[in-house]
Amino acid sequence: MNNPAAPSGMAPGTPPVLQLRGIGKFFPGVIANKDVDLDVWPGEIHALLGENGAGKSTLMNVVTGIYQPEEGEIILDGYGQTFTAPQEAIRAGIGMVHQHFKLVQAFSVAENIHLGWDEAPRLASPAVMEARTREISERFGFPVDPAARVADLSAGEQQRVEILRVLARRARLLIMDEPTAVLTPEETGELFRALRAFRAQGNAVIIISHKLDEVMEISDRVSILRGGRKVGTFRTADCNPTMLAATMVGRDIVRRNMRARPEGAAPIAPQPIMQLRHVSVRDDRGVETLRDVSLDLHGGEILGIAGVAGNGQRELTHVLTGLMARTSGEIMLDGSVVERADPALFAHAGIGHIPEDRLRSALAPSLSITTNMALREYAEPPIGRHGLYDAAAAGMLARDIADLADVTIPDFAMPIRNLSGGNQQRLVARREIRIASRVLVAAYPARGLDIGAIATMLGYLTDLRDQGVAVVFISEDLEDLLNVSDRIGVMFHGRMMDVIDAENADIATIGMLMGGREPTDLQPGGTQ
Amino acid sequence: MATRAFQRLPTAPAGRILALRLVAIVVSLCIIAGVLALSGHSPVMLAELILRSTLGSRFGLEDLALFMCPLLLTGAAVTVCGTIGLWNIGAEGQFYAGAIAATGVALGLHGPVLVMLPLMTIAGILGGMAWITVPTLARAYAGVNEIITTLLLNFIASLLTYYLTTGPWRDRISGAQVSTRRLSVSIPEMWGIVHWGFPVAIVIVVGLALVLSRTRWGYEIRIGGANPEAARYAGIPVRLRIISVMLLSGGLAGLAGMFEVAGTVHRLQGGMANNFGYLGIVVAVLARGSCLNVIPAALLMALILDSGIVMQTQQLSASVILAITGLILFMIAIGDELAHYRPVATTPAKGKAS
Repeated sequence: MNNPAAPSGMAPGTPPVLQLRGIGKFFPGVIANKDVDLDVWPGEIHALLGENGAGKSTLMNVVTGIYQPEEGEIILDGYGQTFTAPQEAIRAGIGMVHQHFKLVQAFSVAENIHLGWDEAPRLASPAVMEARTREISERFGFPVDPAARVADLSAGEQQRVEILRVLARRARLLIMDEPTAVLTPEETGELFRALRAFRAQGNAVIIISHKLDEVMEISDRVSILRGGRKVGTFRTADCNPTMLAATMVGRDIVRRNMRARPEGAAPIAPQPIMQLRHVSVRDDRGVETLRDVSLDLHGGEILGIAGVAGNGQRELTHVLTGLMARTSGEIMLDGSVVERADPALFAHAGIGHIPEDRLRSALAPSLSITTNMALREYAEPPIGRHGLYDAAAAGMLARDIADLADVTIPDFAMPIRNLSGGNQQRLVARREIRIASRVLVAAYPARGLDIGAIATMLGYLTDLRDQGVAVVFISEDLEDLLNVSDRIGVMFHGRMMDVIDAENADIATIGMLMGGREPTDLQPGGTQ
Repeated sequence: MATRAFQRLPTAPAGRILALRLVAIVVSLCIIAGVLALSGHSPVMLAELILRSTLGSRFGLEDLALFMCPLLLTGAAVTVCGTIGLWNIGAEGQFYAGAIAATGVALGLHGPVLVMLPLMTIAGILGGMAWITVPTLARAYAGVNEIITTLLLNFIASLLTYYLTTGPWRDRISGAQVSTRRLSVSIPEMWGIVHWGFPVAIVIVVGLALVLSRTRWGYEIRIGGANPEAARYAGIPVRLRIISVMLLSGGLAGLAGMFEVAGTVHRLQGGMANNFGYLGIVVAVLARGSCLNVIPAALLMALILDSGIVMQTQQLSASVILAITGLILFMIAIGDELAHYRPVATTPAKGKAS
């Protein structure tokens, strides 16, 4: 499976455009890639699939010369290559379009195309550059306005400029990182048409994605990475989204039942604390990122949210914590409708939030540990009284939180960014658990923690549940989800596909729902 | 790879910063002495003269206090604004606006000092606030960069002052150029020519330090400045806080203008802001975001200005003082950066340097 013969219709002896053999790339304490083999043939669109942190981006950074691999070789058209700099990869015909465009916003399209290009004419007047750009744009079939300023272009148009930049440098292998993440459906359609045209000329494309249906639509073959290693390469025609989702997240799952309540634990409350009724959210581009989601959160229950990242989990967390306004539907707290998205109001109602990007959005890195630990309780006694801020009380609180989180802190006055990422994360988790008297929304709380710390984190969640708090636990890890959740909701394309009882849930069913299969299509105890 | 002899710390300890700043000042003084010696002045004589006429004499000390008073307030204005992550470059303009408003009250109304002084104070503060209102609203509601808007308004305020002092408000009694007549109301003097505005300015700076570290509002400002996203996450109304901080900043600079008019100059004069607004930025940079540090920073700046007067009596150009200010700031910036580095014990390479 790892070394298929050249696709049919190709002259015998044609080498692959790109061959990777045993690529390994290590960072301190992390194996980003190990033993990765990959073949990309001329005239093929090859999808690279995997969860966050599966090693896709690292692998592509190796191919484009941004990183140098510690192990393995890169073979282009049958010849071994080493890239010591990205420029060498570009000269060898490998072009990458990053998820976050690397364009100069204030420059025109023509200027961006010619920037850092050794074939740019020495005397480059705007007219000359625009004429050249027009010619390039027609040659490759990506229409752009050469004189337009990049800042004035839509995301789709900017992406076209990025692609042209790469193609103008004679790329034969185009690598695209999450190309559709910023596009509207129409723009996605245009992109795919252009990629097919590029393929028809005998070139190759590697497309990184975790949108399964797009992978199904555009790619000829799919390679799946998990934990830095390649799981396998499949012909897309032989795949379906369900099987891809299962392969992506699937592993040997150890089921441990953490649902059992200890003596004296709070039972699941019959009345929901919080309810979502047909809640939808649209982003600035008008794309619906959360579609018609209805949910009940009961005290004393853990609701797990499964799904491939980017299917509406972020929007769901933000709606549940008042950070994002809904476009339609209703949110009810204790039976009464909440009119406004107001994070202060939600926090005050006892809703804690461990956000996905906690180090960026839940902390002020340059301020002291004490100051950061007071973020949720500064307005309430003992810290906040009569508009004052009691630094001594805040210090006591910080000490309490650090003790509970089991983080040793030499000096509470030092900036919190001096702590390790893992410790910052534990402190945030503990701080949020403190205020979560009714609901805790925890987005990927175990991400980036080691195994022992993950167990502790899951223990925090079950402790909260036993105290009668409603816990929303968003994770990519099916094992953790199945072990602690009472119910599991599965998200796909912003929709809550189904909410199933965790006790009887099987991975195959969840995998199918994650791949977008309608629950009505599934047989009970469905097989794959 | 050679072993690194220095390691950069993410935060520099305060003691190191202080020590290196002293070194920086000494180095700057040596450079200045060298240049003066080359241009035919005796640095030793000059130094002696400067010390005697600034710190060593009553007049010098009085001048020092008068220089410090506006610098404390403009420095605090820039520092407060910086706490929420914004730069008020317009203290100079707000200074003029406060001075104009206070002068307007003094020229237009008549009453006992006990009524007039509070009225002028309020007018001065409101004048400064009014001058920063447009940049504030533009920043809070449209995200317009406050550095540009506050800066540009400085020129308008300065020209407005020239217009008033040569036009409608010009001195018709003594015929002084580019000036109003002497105001009938003034802040009482407490020590020689030092007026009560000086201790009030110190109290205000200390009070602000307390407000920023000991109130909810101050806490919210600090969080908003350090990470606006975290502030939003915590439910802090960042926009309202930006508005209140910027208005406070403008009010402080306006108060500085009122003090200068009613306490030191006793007239509105063209050019009277004397760069106090811009030097407030220097003070704030030296203070590194702490209100209490504004006091020593303003003292240092006042010493430099005071020395400048002495130097002018020795046929040195007035621009020398700007050059000296620049040099000291430059050296201090280098010192602050060096304070981040710690020598690492160069152990014989056991592992590979990463």
